[in-house]
Amino acid sequence: MTVTTIDSATASRAPDRNFKYWVIAPAIFLLLLVGLFPLVYSLIISFQHLTMTEADTSFVGLKNYAHLFVDTRLWESLLHTVIITVIALPLELVFGMAMAQLFLERMPGRQIFVSLLMLPVVISPIVAGATWRLLLDNRYGPINQIIGWFAGHPMTLLWNVNPNLVYPAIIFCEIWQWTPFMFLILLAALSNVDKSLTEAAEIDGAGYWRVFFKIVLPSIWPVMAIALLIRGLDLVRIFDIIWSLTAGGPGTMTETISIYTYVQGFSQFETSYTAAIAFLVIALLTVIVTWAIRRMGLAK
Amino acid sequence: MSLVKKMTWAGAVAGLALAAWSQAASAQSAAETAVKAAQQYKGTTINIVWEAGLQSLDPKNFSGPLWEKLTGIHVNVVEVQTAEMFTKIMQEYRAGTGAYDALNVIPAWMPDLAQAGALEPLDSYVEKYGYAGELDKIAPIYRDNQMKVNGKIYGFPDDGDVFVMYYRKDIFDDAKNKEEFKAKTGHDLAVPKTWAEFDEVGQFLTDKLQPNTYGAAFFRQPPYTMFMLEERFRNEGGKFFDADTMKATINSDIGVKVLTDMRNENKFMPPGVEQFGFVENLAAFLSGQTAMTISWPPYGRWAASYGTDEEAMNWVPKSTIAGKVGYALPPGGHPELAAGFALSVASTSKNKEAAYLFIQWLNSEEISSQRVKLPTALRDPFRTSHFTDPGYLALWPDAKDYLKTLQDAADTGLLDLSLLQTDKYEEVLRQSISKLWAGEDPKAILDKAAADWDAITAEIGVDKQKAVYADWASKSGAYPK
Repeated sequence: MTVTTIDSATASRAPDRNFKYWVIAPAIFLLLLVGLFPLVYSLIISFQHLTMTEADTSFVGLKNYAHLFVDTRLWESLLHTVIITVIALPLELVFGMAMAQLFLERMPGRQIFVSLLMLPVVISPIVAGATWRLLLDNRYGPINQIIGWFAGHPMTLLWNVNPNLVYPAIIFCEIWQWTPFMFLILLAALSNVDKSLTEAAEIDGAGYWRVFFKIVLPSIWPVMAIALLIRGLDLVRIFDIIWSLTAGGPGTMTETISIYTYVQGFSQFETSYTAAIAFLVIALLTVIVTWAIRRMGLAK
Repeated sequence: MSLVKKMTWAGAVAGLALAAWSQAASAQSAAETAVKAAQQYKGTTINIVWEAGLQSLDPKNFSGPLWEKLTGIHVNVVEVQTAEMFTKIMQEYRAGTGAYDALNVIPAWMPDLAQAGALEPLDSYVEKYGYAGELDKIAPIYRDNQMKVNGKIYGFPDDGDVFVMYYRKDIFDDAKNKEEFKAKTGHDLAVPKTWAEFDEVGQFLTDKLQPNTYGAAFFRQPPYTMFMLEERFRNEGGKFFDADTMKATINSDIGVKVLTDMRNENKFMPPGVEQFGFVENLAAFLSGQTAMTISWPPYGRWAASYGTDEEAMNWVPKSTIAGKVGYALPPGGHPELAAGFALSVASTSKNKEAAYLFIQWLNSEEISSQRVKLPTALRDPFRTSHFTDPGYLALWPDAKDYLKTLQDAADTGLLDLSLLQTDKYEEVLRQSISKLWAGEDPKAILDKAAADWDAITAEIGVDKQKAVYADWASKSGAYPK
């Protein structure tokens, strides 16, 4: 009797199971169209030799991919991207954490301060870059003027020209804009740490850092890891702020992989080679993200 | 009357009628011809790509509305930043949507755009609408060098962009300055004709007048300085390539000297001059902070306060030096015909005839002479008649000297380097300048630049590029004669 009941119930649900596939089919088709098609098309192009003047679609094999290995400017741009990422990401984390700790305690006007701190995040990066370019301008910007007041004489600091100043300028702007993002996520994570655990540890004599590293950090780690991953990926594709501030200069000193890809694709019209660069970046990111997800334990 | 006789009479009458029509047509100006022919396209819209900002006020506020009034054809102005114009034109051409009908093209891009097929050859239209006569009256330097690719017309030169030196007459005429300069150097204080003289005068004026006034300032941002480097390198005797091997020769001793001198000159210019762009340099000159500068023709008009009271010009700093500005050719005597614009028709246009007629009308003697006088627009005199236009000569007290200098500059000007994939070569120059301001060694910078140029040439094909370079180098404005 029971068996019969289950069978009939299963039979009656069978059409429903097929129906749900039909329902989501248009969405899947659309996703494939806008996601997979460009990917496949780019892959095809990367084996051709489309340039500004060349519309020949015959295949050239691995020529574009072979060129990647001898293109020093490409690897330098990757190095610049890594430099910016490994400096900016930990600093954003540290400052974000410090700010989150500060705002964890209840204080007057906390909500207003948190809202104000979030303003840089809502500004478009290209606008932020242009604004900082003006602020750092030697002739019209206030920053050199303020530094000059402290120095006691006018200061000519060419933030987007001097090779010793361009990276600090870029990293400062990047940190200014994105630390609040890190701060907000960490503040949410810290707010959810079980207070009974930290209080018990403190009663048992554990110091601040011991409590932080042994209880707080493990508690917020999954959220923090996601925040690091998001910001890390953002930093790998950093474009706007640098484009506004230095356009990759002096020379190609601050040219990141995104800027190099843009220049190759939309300034020099090396369409096929640009597609090959894109696939190199996809491959590198896939390896790094997979490794990071495993290392961070996010796959569990 | 026999049939043969009838046909003979009919032929004769038709011939006379045709002759009379031709006579009437030739009596019409190119502008009138264009308007008359365009009236059949009444109700259509043509899209024209124009540089964003002040430049586009010409078709938006003046020529576009006037054309619509005369012909019934609406002009839609597609504003694009100069740096993105080439990209947008090529993207549209590749997409083939016909979104653009007429184009503003920087002449140095013309070989690339023409060879890619993005531009419509205009010879048949010129013949059909009898424009050859007026086309011939464009100043020779522009007409002979910025119009054709491989013998075909692809654009009408429409902007007399050229670098001019602006200097403070009051400072150069000051008796005390003259006396002190003579005592220091042993010769008279005069507007410099060589770069060595420029360095001497610039340093003297800075030493004497700073911090209120510096000897000179230039725009130093790489996209602008690239033109100055091209100009100066050739004025000093440099050649871009070995014509036989197509090997880059920009890293010659001349190149190294030019870069070294350029960087040294920053020392007598205002602090932070390395960041100066078009506006910063303009502001410094108009505020009286600099005694000499080199730039495009609008500086001269704005320095005289011509048109700067218009609302659209409120971003231009008020001139404190009106009436005190002199005009001269830059040191070396062969100024760069930096950038400029030509009017072209997009090959993918669905309204080619109407687009052509519009650019013929814009470019004609009658209409262009009005356009170059628009205070808000940036089109500079490019027809022989513009330099002697009584209306222009009366615009401000020194306009006569200004136009004379522009004409001299057009007579001796140097063309921008124009090859296949010019932007790749230019990008190397821009990076080189950026490295120069960052303090790198000039010789190392130019060796790298030459290696990069050689790599670009090899990628394009040495023989292919060699032929294009030979064609360019044979033009009257390629190198000083």
